[in-house]
Amino acid sequence: MTLPRQILLLYRKDLRVEVRKKESLIAMAFFGVLIMVILNLAAGLDRRLQAEPAAGILWVAILFSSVLGLGRVFAREKENNCVAALLVSPLSPGALFAAKALVNFTLMSFSELVLVPVFFALFGAGLQPGLPVLLLLLALVNLGFSAAGTLLSALAAGTRRNEVMLPILLYPLCLPLVALAVKSTGAAFGGRPLTEIRDLIESMAAFGLIYAAVGYLLFSHAVREV
Amino acid sequence: MPMVEPFLRVEGLCKSYGGLTALEDVGLTLEAGGFLCLFGPNGAGKSTLLKVLATLLPPTAGSVRVAGFDLEEHPEAFRAQLGLVSHQSFLYDDLSARENLAFYAALYGVPDPSVRAGELLERVDLAHRAHSPVREFSRGMQQRLSIARALVNDPSLLLLDEPYTGLDAHAAIRLSRQLRLLHEARRTIVMATHNLERGLDLATSVGILARGKVVFLQRRDQIDPEAFEQLYFRHLEAA
Repeated sequence: MTLPRQILLLYRKDLRVEVRKKESLIAMAFFGVLIMVILNLAAGLDRRLQAEPAAGILWVAILFSSVLGLGRVFAREKENNCVAALLVSPLSPGALFAAKALVNFTLMSFSELVLVPVFFALFGAGLQPGLPVLLLLLALVNLGFSAAGTLLSALAAGTRRNEVMLPILLYPLCLPLVALAVKSTGAAFGGRPLTEIRDLIESMAAFGLIYAAVGYLLFSHAVREV
Repeated sequence: MPMVEPFLRVEGLCKSYGGLTALEDVGLTLEAGGFLCLFGPNGAGKSTLLKVLATLLPPTAGSVRVAGFDLEEHPEAFRAQLGLVSHQSFLYDDLSARENLAFYAALYGVPDPSVRAGELLERVDLAHRAHSPVREFSRGMQQRLSIARALVNDPSLLLLDEPYTGLDAHAAIRLSRQLRLLHEARRTIVMATHNLERGLDLATSVGILARGKVVFLQRRDQIDPEAFEQLYFRHLEAA
């Protein structure tokens, strides 16, 4: 079986389970909305925020809520030790990594369909949404975060406190990507043109590709430790 | 007369985790169609040996050959010979029995996964529950489905790690019947179990592992089942 077909097979299986249970998506969206509501109350309901603090709130809500989904996607393979059956099969570990990263990317994207409109409803006054730029930034962060999260969730699954280990490992690793995301989103919300934040966007793409490449290469070692 | 290569050959196999030796100079052979039952107390190295045979753990030293394929030289061809059953089901609770089997069959590149899933469900008497999610299955039903899952690629070597764990008497009898049928179909089987009675009943060869070493290996027809329990404990005490 070719690599793309292996990836598609695993991706469809995981999405089928997620559509049936909806546990990750609901948890992610609910937690993200909760964070934004609390921050909205803390900031003052009628207060207009500057572009950069507002961008920070958006990414805090997205990235903190995403960990709930990232952990579940690999934990599902550990239930009944399904990962052992996958490793005995002709499946390439790289296909397993790519499929899991793709599932995480999809879950993050779907939760953002809820979180981004809620964000603009709560904090949008005075911000310039710049939808195409925001979509590009969301896609780049999703790429980097889901790639790094997939590798680290496999590593964390081999530890006793895996649900605690994942965020402890993931957030420091993704700090450069998050900082770039906050900076570029703040600039976009402030109405600065795409050309002015091009360097930031290129750096984000580079981080995303590095996380994806490292994850693809190291996943076979990480998954054998589970 | 030319020497016939045994179907399974394990030579000088060692596995260490840091300073801990889990397997030490393990050697054994099994002819095609044979049924080797490995006994031993907890921590003897049975599961580690099966994990090495299943390619889930790399050996520290030694060699393993199955059907002429060396584990290190031809890992993919080696893996293609294997089916693995454990006390864990390796099944997705939220997928139906048919979806689980079809998923694994597709993973092995079986031409028509859905048809293969249907055949296997018939074989393990679960066709009537094909569309039920696995989480609704009893432990015995899950174990039968787990055997069906291990057979999706029609493996020539079936590895069973404590398959009787958690089964009630009725489910254990059904499992023994299933294993006997698989053996009669000339499938080569290696099973690790604590259950001396069931193991002796099925095996064509019997091994005892203690402290990571094979301390006893003999053909089943050369063993007196009445005296085996004594012999088993004698070997454990001597190890």
